[in-house]
Amino acid sequence: MSPHSIVFLVSFVIVVLLLVLIDRLLRPGLRGLLEEVTGLPAATEFYLRAFVLVIVLVALAALVGAGHGDLKDGAHFMEYVWSIASGLQDMFQNLLIVLLVYVGLITVLMAALRRKH
Amino acid sequence: MSNGHYLIVSYFVVAFVSLCLGLAAYRALRRPFAAIAEAVAGSMRSRLLKRALALSVAMAALLGFLSVSYRGCDMSYEQIVKDRGYLVQKNREQLQHAGNCIAYVVLAWGVVVVVCLVVLRRNEDGEEESPRD
Repeated sequence: MSPHSIVFLVSFVIVVLLLVLIDRLLRPGLRGLLEEVTGLPAATEFYLRAFVLVIVLVALAALVGAGHGDLKDGAHFMEYVWSIASGLQDMFQNLLIVLLVYVGLITVLMAALRRKH
Repeated sequence: MSNGHYLIVSYFVVAFVSLCLGLAAYRALRRPFAAIAEAVAGSMRSRLLKRALALSVAMAALLGFLSVSYRGCDMSYEQIVKDRGYLVQKNREQLQHAGNCIAYVVLAWGVVVVVCLVVLRRNEDGEEESPRD
């Protein structure tokens, strides 16, 4: 197995675990909030699916785009770690941007749909 | 497989995969979006909105794919084909850009759905208030 394949596989496992963690942490609260704000099951479903789609696409895109061109055969353990860390840095950066955009979107949604009492 | 053949095959395979990514994103959003569009705009206009969603997601996937250029730094065709690693890296970039573009378009449609929900809420509020008037 080449160093590139090892780094890709390890990064892939980390990214999948991270995505599952983000989904598990945020989905229940997000569902409750959306149900309360929109009052329309289709809208709740749309935003939840959009959330999953966006984080999966962005994370996998960063994973696929990471080059790992610095690794040679017989590289040391820490070189593997640095290569994985470099790929994950891009992923975290992109994920943070889309999560912030998503939070902005949900905030606009809440502000726009608040009931007048 | 020679590098020339690899370039041709990988280019079209990655284009197809990018388009499939876009269509998969559309399929994931189609049903809830159709329900929202129908509630807001009725069946005739909702069809237009659904088609716009499909088109925009597919176009975003292709835009991301096409936005990657092989001819960086004035490289000739021979120089591009010579390096297999460069070709693989470009294929990865194409998939990366396609994924990012689809994600941004999905977020943009999130804004459209906010507008749809505001319109729906106003209509509901208007119906609730009108009998009192």
